[in-house]
Amino acid sequence: MLSQFLLLPLLAIILLNLPMRSITQKLAVWVGVLISLWQIIVVIQLPMGRSGPDVMGKYFTLGLSCDNLTLVLLMAIGIVTLTTILVGRQTITGEKQLFGFMNLVFVAMIGMNGTVMLTDLFSLYIFIEVTAIASFILIAFQRDTNALEGAFKYIILSATATVMMLLSISIMLLVVGDTSFAAAGSAVQQSQGNPLVMLAIGLFICGLLIKGGVVPFHGWLPAAYSAAPAAASVLLAGIATKTSGIYALIRLTTSVFANNESVNHILLLAGAISILVGAFAAIGQSDFKKMLAYSSISQVGYIILALGCGTNLAIIGAVFHLFNHSIFKSLLFVNSAAVEKQSGTTDMNKLGGLGSKMPITNATSLIAFLSTAGVPPLAGFWSKLIIVIALWQNGLHTYATIAVLASVLTLAYLLMMQRKVFFGKLANGLSGVKEAGWGITLSATILAAITVGVGVLFPWMFNSVLMPISSFLK
Amino acid sequence: MTDSYILLPIAIPFVAGIVVLLIGQQIKRVKEAIALLATAATLGLTITLFKENISYSIPWTGFGIDLALRLYHFSAFILVAAAAFSFLFVLYSCSFMRDKPRLNQFYSYMLITLAMTNGAVLADNLVLMLFFWEGLMLTLFGMIAIGREGAFKTAIKAFVIVGISDLCLMMGIGLAGHLAGTMTISKINLPVVDSLGALAFILMMMGAISKAGSVPFHTWIPDAAVDAPLPFMAFLPASLEKLLGIYLLARISLDMFKLHAGSWISILLMTIGAITILIAVMMALVQKDYKRLLSYHAVSQVGYMILGIGTCLPIGIVGGLFHMINHALYKSCLFLTGGAVEKQTGTTDLAKLGGIGIKMPVTFTCFVIAAASISGVPPFNGFYSKELIYDAALVRGNIFYLAAILGTFLTAASFLKLGHAAFLGKISDANKKVREVGPSMFVPMIIIASVCVIFGVWNYLPLNNLIKPILGEERLAGHEFGPNMMLITVTVIVLVGALLHHLFAVKVNGGGGYKASDHIRHAPFLEGIYTKAEKRWFDPYDIAMLIVRGASRFGWWIDRTIDWLYEDFAVRVATGLSSVIKLAHTGSYAMYVVWSLIGVLFVVIMLMKSF
Repeated sequence: MLSQFLLLPLLAIILLNLPMRSITQKLAVWVGVLISLWQIIVVIQLPMGRSGPDVMGKYFTLGLSCDNLTLVLLMAIGIVTLTTILVGRQTITGEKQLFGFMNLVFVAMIGMNGTVMLTDLFSLYIFIEVTAIASFILIAFQRDTNALEGAFKYIILSATATVMMLLSISIMLLVVGDTSFAAAGSAVQQSQGNPLVMLAIGLFICGLLIKGGVVPFHGWLPAAYSAAPAAASVLLAGIATKTSGIYALIRLTTSVFANNESVNHILLLAGAISILVGAFAAIGQSDFKKMLAYSSISQVGYIILALGCGTNLAIIGAVFHLFNHSIFKSLLFVNSAAVEKQSGTTDMNKLGGLGSKMPITNATSLIAFLSTAGVPPLAGFWSKLIIVIALWQNGLHTYATIAVLASVLTLAYLLMMQRKVFFGKLANGLSGVKEAGWGITLSATILAAITVGVGVLFPWMFNSVLMPISSFLK
Repeated sequence: MTDSYILLPIAIPFVAGIVVLLIGQQIKRVKEAIALLATAATLGLTITLFKENISYSIPWTGFGIDLALRLYHFSAFILVAAAAFSFLFVLYSCSFMRDKPRLNQFYSYMLITLAMTNGAVLADNLVLMLFFWEGLMLTLFGMIAIGREGAFKTAIKAFVIVGISDLCLMMGIGLAGHLAGTMTISKINLPVVDSLGALAFILMMMGAISKAGSVPFHTWIPDAAVDAPLPFMAFLPASLEKLLGIYLLARISLDMFKLHAGSWISILLMTIGAITILIAVMMALVQKDYKRLLSYHAVSQVGYMILGIGTCLPIGIVGGLFHMINHALYKSCLFLTGGAVEKQTGTTDLAKLGGIGIKMPVTFTCFVIAAASISGVPPFNGFYSKELIYDAALVRGNIFYLAAILGTFLTAASFLKLGHAAFLGKISDANKKVREVGPSMFVPMIIIASVCVIFGVWNYLPLNNLIKPILGEERLAGHEFGPNMMLITVTVIVLVGALLHHLFAVKVNGGGGYKASDHIRHAPFLEGIYTKAEKRWFDPYDIAMLIVRGASRFGWWIDRTIDWLYEDFAVRVATGLSSVIKLAHTGSYAMYVVWSLIGVLFVVIMLMKSF
């Protein structure tokens, strides 16, 4: 059953690209909506805690497997893809363009779904690359200088990552003879201190850190996020980089590297630096999307920090924050898309007072920013709280303090954003602004509802959803 | 009669007070009727309960804090007095307050005050007593606040001062309860030997004497005299608060703590008493306002009671308690005459009064009786209680006797001045048409003045029936209360001296009674002190407020500094760091690749460093 998540988008690409383009062009968006909705529904129906190889898997010899971590990610992928498609329908002009965009979204979907379900290093690498290729083109979608520059930076750094991951995999093949997580994991356990294995681990981690945009591997990220079309930024920031970088890192640290002390140390350091650099850089931005991009770096830092902590509670916090982040960061990018579409700019100095003109965007943005900053009772507060508690329990008081204090910075720059864009006096030339179309407001509302709902229902969620997540941990 | 009747003196006025509060401004006369009925009912009830001995207790909050009430001769006596005064003042207010605004609040606060007073007097549990005691603070605040424009500030002042002294009482109660192991008053019997016991006594004593209005807790009273409605002055500072404060002082010095003559606490009490007498009477002497002058005497006379009780001699305690009831009588009578004058002439400024004695004969007569009482002229009641206090003071030390007799001299002098300035001398044109007040105002005055005479001439009546039982037979055994001819002679000489002084002063200063104290006001040494006192240099409240203001400014400065750290400094640091990071992001992909490679190098070295 798991293979449907790969086959349905593939089928959609094939069928939609058959002749009779004039009909399929109109259908593409709705097919995308259906597929992503279907993914959400199926994931909801899958029982938590189920694990094991897929029946269809044997025909592909791809070891698909599904545990609770995968479920969370599949859910997030479904939600964010749906949002992306709805936003894309509103913001991308021209049927042909939209059709092309939809195809890329399907490719990205295959890549992401594959990444989260696969169980060996090489397949993981392949699907990460599938996602990346879709991402390159999505970033360059508008084909202007900025877009091409952003895409180019991403390709260059991605290529560096590719080289490192491939090198790592080949070392693993050389040493272990197998690339499945289980085999690699036990090999790493047995060959404690084998310098080649350690080199492989280091290279793979670096590759994933580049993909995830963690400081100092983040150079491509702000340019790429801000240059991409609005809908593509939602997909990239919300889920694509999170899946290919952060999910993979979570998967590998838990099942392959298994609490290696040095790895944890590196992750803690990288996480803390990311949090601080991202937050401080965000404060200085005047571009809406660039600020959100740096904010992403900062928030990813929290996830990496929790991973570095390594306790079960911390991992739960990391997964929870990953999910929350994909929701509220997507929401913020959706709002930025709305603002960009209606006002024609993302320069915050030229914006102002949109709150009265775009009440839904204003309100949902407020919710997202409060959730990002970790204000109770919204979802972001709980995941950050879990992370901070886990850090503190583990004796990592300095890192816990950094995590808490950086929330203040988060609050500062997002408040600045909210004030500059939505509050205050209406800026010149914006008197005719209205809400963007229903696709954007609907998806913003849904995402805001998820953020609030998860936050309010947290006490229930903690035992019935979050604790079972840890079942994938050994 | 069941024991639960003991709850009625608290319940009746309280319920009536709430009802009155809910009655609107438009409905005339109903408020007065309810207040009169409630106080009359309380008075009747307390009289019927007078000879009873009731201990009543129901569980309240737990932790040894029960709703325990105890009626015995002492509390019954205070209950009757409080109810009687309340009834008379309500009667008086019916006419005096008629056209004033916020009448429902006035009567309501008055009734609730009575309820709280009864509760505090009846309470046999320290915490319960404190509960009622604090309730009094609220009504005190309310009654001052509904006075004339600007009274709110005075109300705050009273609230702060009373609040602080109540806090002392609260701490004292906590400490006493802790030391005694029980909160039940009738079971507490603490020796004042160790420092903790003394501390508990002093804290509770501070609560008691500040309720009575002693120095240095008195400074709100003269302000309230001007700002608050006049019946309030007669009601609280002149009578009910004296009854309560001295009642508590007597309870703690007689029952709860074992105080011995000669202990340093006794000396402390007597010193406080003597200082209170002198400071307040010196201030009273130079006042030029009828009500302010009276209010300072309300403070000064407390000194006699504290001095009397502080002697720890039976004769002194009897004198102090007798003086308590006498003072409540003549001082409230004096305030009522002040109210009558204010009502008819529209002013209490002595400069504008004069010669109205003929126009208001009843008021004048009552004033003369009460003034003679307070000055200690035989055969009025004040004379007898003061004689007892003199007697005890002389035994304990000449200095205390001297202070007391000097106080009497100055009291007499200031009342000669007041009577002369207000009722005698030339009448001003504005007061030509002044008439006597109506019956609802003069009846209470006459009743109280007559009681002054009765308690003077037949002084054994209150002494034997009301005061002596409080001390009990064994304490009084072997003590004579006969007149001390020597002391009486001295008193008479002092009083004649005061009269001569007044005649002399009028002649020297000119300007009739109004300027009779000017030579003291402008005496070489006193001039500076008076000037500073009038500028409130010595008011503890104002001094404390200055300190508070300083502390507040300091706090503000700290607050601004912290604010600067957050608002300015932190923002600068953040934006500074931000711009540094921004500078680093040049947009050059080569640079980013270099960063990444440095990162890779770092990671690999970290992982392989063990080799």
